Amino acid sequence: MARFAAGARVRARAADPDGHTRLPQYARGHIGEVVEVRPTWQLPDEAVRGVSRAEPVYAVRFRAAELWGSGSHCVMLDMWESYLEEVP
Amino acid sequence: MGGQTGFGPVPTEDDGQFFHADWEARVYAIIRVLQRRGVINAAFDDLRDAIERIAPAEYLAMSYYERWLRAAEMLLAERGLLADG
Repeated sequence: MARFAAGARVRARAADPDGHTRLPQYARGHIGEVVEVRPTWQLPDEAVRGVSRAEPVYAVRFRAAELWGSGSHCVMLDMWESYLEEVP
Repeated sequence: MGGQTGFGPVPTEDDGQFFHADWEARVYAIIRVLQRRGVINAAFDDLRDAIERIAPAEYLAMSYYERWLRAAEMLLAERGLLADG
């Protein structure tokens, strides 16, 4: 089951993992909004270690101003569920 | 190297060509065959991971398909399918 629904505010995890990840450095620690819940897909961070574990993937929209302090555009990122935490 | 800033604009090749030399097409084809045979995973995770493990100075000096080729060599060697050297 997907933990977040469209419209939810979420924060990208700030931790810097040791190996491969699809969570971009520039998004870490920043708040975005779930735009769409996509089907599950295997987590790349574990797939490269030969572990196949699927997670929900979310299209998350981040404002450029939130990421870089300026800009009026948005950035849309595909985020695996474990990349995200709840924003209270 | 992903997500780093300060490299200026992203160079684009808007000439409609996927490959700019025959060897590039061959590298692409080799990777696709390795995926089909299950040596490299279909979602490109293994390839991305290997590309990220290329030493930064070397990575920065390489073209796009040179990185693909080096990553394929690394994966084949790590999986015992290609001898060192």
